[in-house]
Formats: sequence, C-alpha cells, structure tokens
Amino acid sequence: MLKRGSKARFILITLLLLSPGLLTFFLLFFYPMMVTLTRSLRPEGEQIGWTLEHYVTFLAEPRAREVILLTFVLSIGAVLCSVLLSIPLGLALRQKLRAHRFYRLTMITPRVVPGLIGALGLLLLFGSRGWVNLFLIRFVPFVNEPISINYTIPGLILFYTWLYFPFIALTTLAALEGLDPAIEEAADVAGANRWQVLRHVVIPLITPAILAGSVLTFMAAFGAFSIPLIAGGNHRPLSVEIYRQIDFTPARWSAASARAMIMAVLQVIFLTIYMRVLRRPIT
Amino acid sequence: MTLARKYLNAILRSRKLLIQTLLLCFALMIFTPFLMIVLRSVGRGWFGRLWLPPELTLDWYRWAVEVTNIVEITKNTLVIALLAVLMSTVIAIPTGWALGRRNIPGRELLMSILLLPRMIPPIAFALGVAQIFYRTDLINTHIGVALAHVSICAPFAILILSATFEALDERLLEASGVCGANPIRTFIHVVFPLILPGVLASMIFTFTTSYNEFTLTLMTYGKDTVTLPVRTYLAIGEGYWEVTSAMSILLIIPSIIVLFMIQRQVAPEKLVGGFKGV
Repeated sequence: MLKRGSKARFILITLLLLSPGLLTFFLLFFYPMMVTLTRSLRPEGEQIGWTLEHYVTFLAEPRAREVILLTFVLSIGAVLCSVLLSIPLGLALRQKLRAHRFYRLTMITPRVVPGLIGALGLLLLFGSRGWVNLFLIRFVPFVNEPISINYTIPGLILFYTWLYFPFIALTTLAALEGLDPAIEEAADVAGANRWQVLRHVVIPLITPAILAGSVLTFMAAFGAFSIPLIAGGNHRPLSVEIYRQIDFTPARWSAASARAMIMAVLQVIFLTIYMRVLRRPIT
Repeated sequence: MTLARKYLNAILRSRKLLIQTLLLCFALMIFTPFLMIVLRSVGRGWFGRLWLPPELTLDWYRWAVEVTNIVEITKNTLVIALLAVLMSTVIAIPTGWALGRRNIPGRELLMSILLLPRMIPPIAFALGVAQIFYRTDLINTHIGVALAHVSICAPFAILILSATFEALDERLLEASGVCGANPIRTFIHVVFPLILPGVLASMIFTFTTSYNEFTLTLMTYGKDTVTLPVRTYLAIGEGYWEVTSAMSILLIIPSIIVLFMIQRQVAPEKLVGGFKGV
C-alpha cells in the first residue's frame, strides 16, 4: 500500500518536472501550428467557414512546382557542397597543424554571426564589382566581363553552403578525430596506399557522421529564410513565397498559412524518408 | 613532361605546406565577406574595377548613428536575448532533469516530440505565433519577442541539459551522502559544480540563437522592439550599401565581444549544437 503511494508520488513529481517543457511545446509550437492550420482552411480574412481553396489555387499554379523544386534543389545542393567541403577540411584539421584553434573557430564563425550580415558580405564579395569578379577578370583567361553570381541559383547554393556547412564539418571532424589510428595503420600495413585508405577505410567509417550532419544542414537550408529573402532576387523558395503573401497590405494570411502547411508537410515527409535511408546499414 | 612530374612530386612531398594553403584558402573564404563589409563601410567613391576604395571616410558611420538608434537597438536585442535565455533555462532545468535522471517510458519519443520545433521550418509556426500575439497584444513587446524565441531555444536547452544531467554519476551523490552531507550541501558542493558547464553551454547556445534569430523576430517585432537582424534587413532594403555596411559593423560588435568572452568558457563547437546525439 505504502509502495503504491510512493510510486504515484514519483509519477506525479516526474510529470511536474516535465510540465514546463511540455507546456512550452504546446503553447509555443503546437497551438501556433494549429492556428496556422485553421487559418489555412478559412476563407481569407474571415473567422468562420471551411475551404480548401488556398491549397488548390497554390498547387494549381504552374509556379508552385517551380517553387517547391527550387527549395529542394537549393537545400540538396547546399548539402552536397557542404559534404565536399567538409571532408578535406576535416582531414586537414585532424592533423592539428599550426593555428589549429584559430581554424576551428573559423569553422563555426558563419553559424555565430547573424546570417544576414554574412549574406551582406557575400553579396558584396561576389557582386559585379566584388573581389571575386575582379580576380576572375584579372587572372583567368577568357573572362572579360563580370560573371553574375549574386541572384542566381548556383550563387544561392554557394551562399547556403557558406552559412550551413558547419553542421556537417563539425560532425565530420568529430568522427575523424574519434577514429582509431590503428585501423588506418592496419590498412597501411596491408599495403593500401593513401588514397585507398581514404576511399575504403576512412570514408566508410565517417559516413554515418556525415549523414547525421547533413540532416541538420538540410533542415536549416530547407527552412532558410533570411538568405533567399535578401540574396534570392527572382528565385523565391517556399519560405520567401510565404512571407511575400503577408508582406504587403492586404496581408493574405490564409494563403500564407496554406503554403506554410505545405512546406512543413514536405519537410517532415522528406526527413522521414531520409531517416529511413539512414537507418539502413550502408554497405 | 618529366619536369611537370618533378614539380608535381615536389608539391605532393610538401604535404604540410599544401594543407596549410588549403586551410588558409578556407579561412579567406570565411573572412573576406566581413572584410568587404569593413572596406565598404569606410570607403568613398569606390566604383569601377578598383580593388580598394580610393578614399577613406567615416561619414557612413556618422550617417548610420544618425539614422539608426544603435544604442536602442542593441539594448532591445540584448534584453530580448537575456529574457529568452532566462525563460529557456527555467523551463529546461526541470524538464531536462526529468528526462535525464528518471526512467520515463517512451523517453526517446518524448524527446523527439520536444525537438519537433527544430524540425519544422520556423516560418510555418511563426505565422501562427504572430496571429496569436496579435490577438493577445504581445506583438511589439520585449517579452513577446523573447517568448517567440523560446519556442526554438527551449528544445535545445532541454536537449543539452538532459545530456548533462544524465552524465551525473549517481555514486558521487551517494558518496557525498555517506560522508554526511545533507541534500543541500550535496547540491552546492557536488551537483552544482558538475552541472555548471552544461548549464553555461545551454545558456550560451540559447543566447546566440536568440541574438541571431530573424524569422520569428520579423513576424513579431514592432517599432519598439527592432532587433539587430531586423534592422540589418530593413537597411538592406533601403539600398544604401555603404550605410548598411557601417551599420552592420556597429551592430556586430556586441556579438563579437560576447563570443570572445564565452569562447574561453566553453568549447566553441557547443555553439552549433555539435554535441553527441544530434
């Protein structure tokens, strides 16, 4: 009898301890999501009635497919570029050469300064009068005119990569530093050259870490808002498309909410598939 | 042909140099954008194909200070960030304790539910938050903007703190009890020093998240709660790039000072959430 009483008390205390987190979740996430969902099903500017009109009109537009495709292209492009950058970077940083700590700090800088300021700097650097174009005109043959990088899709992928690669770089570096040196030595002793060791031993061993980091980069890039807002030009991924609906008066909250729901559902679906693929052992 | 091979071999042999060059290029890639902003903010008449501005001036800074109330904006940003840190920590300590120290059925599931706000694009629930805040008059208040930030700060604080509390060794607490310390003494002399780094890490993480948060602020700010990122956005929209650059430099200074102060306390990797389990 006494035992049951103390057990009930234990459960009660656990629930009490959990309640602030759960309350935050429901009040600041679940409830707003429900408000967004309800708003997206209401006729514009009204509090009653139900309609699917906003979903139908958006999805029927030919632009809708373009917008969704663009969002995916940008985020997957950013993930791929980040992986390509992170592996050599991790391998280089693993050696703990001079100024190791400085480079480690450099690696997280893009995540620490406000993203908008980073984007502003990138716009200045890659602009038609920026250093990159000056460099190309001066030193690369057959380039006489400034190349437009800002406001193009490759440019956007570059900006995304600059901003979101630290997630992958950090997990990759952590995995590389956690590798047992004996494994690589064994491969070396077995007669593998440096490239073979990298290709057949190191890369497979750090793949899980790279994939784990890529989930974070993907999520950040998919939901990216500030960068495409100021550096996107005519290329508008979903987040900017949503903001455009409420940016001017009269604000179209219902249309924006419908797009937001589509975006959230797409991301959840994609992440679920991604996680499924991740769980499968990589051979 | 042989000469080319000779050079190639020489380059390959000096691998250390090669790696150093690679790292230097990487650092250039990260830092030149900021250098460009600095140069733009002090240059005058920088047109055409010039590498450096022909004339230096501090006029843009004077403009920036005149046009924008830098002090007010910095104060807003810091107040909101501190409120967000405070609220997230108060929320995360009990919840993290329960998740880390108690046997809860379905703990993993609960954790992923609590982390859901980080999975959904913030703009999706920012729309809902804005509508709720308009109804409850929380728009354009410091506490309102901070509350909006808590929605994404708290999940990560919970994650970091539950990992910290889970790592606490039960035997240490028992040993302290055996040695005759009462629970309060145990907490002050054993538990507190052990969890302090984790709590600090979580606070720093929440601080930077809130300091840099743009989406949720843009949806809930008003003329009295303009923060650093929002002001930069507005300035970019106004189109005077020189003034915008000067403004960004002024606005970024506090964040650099804060970073410099904290990077000695905590491993900087923690700032990105590069801890295990994520």
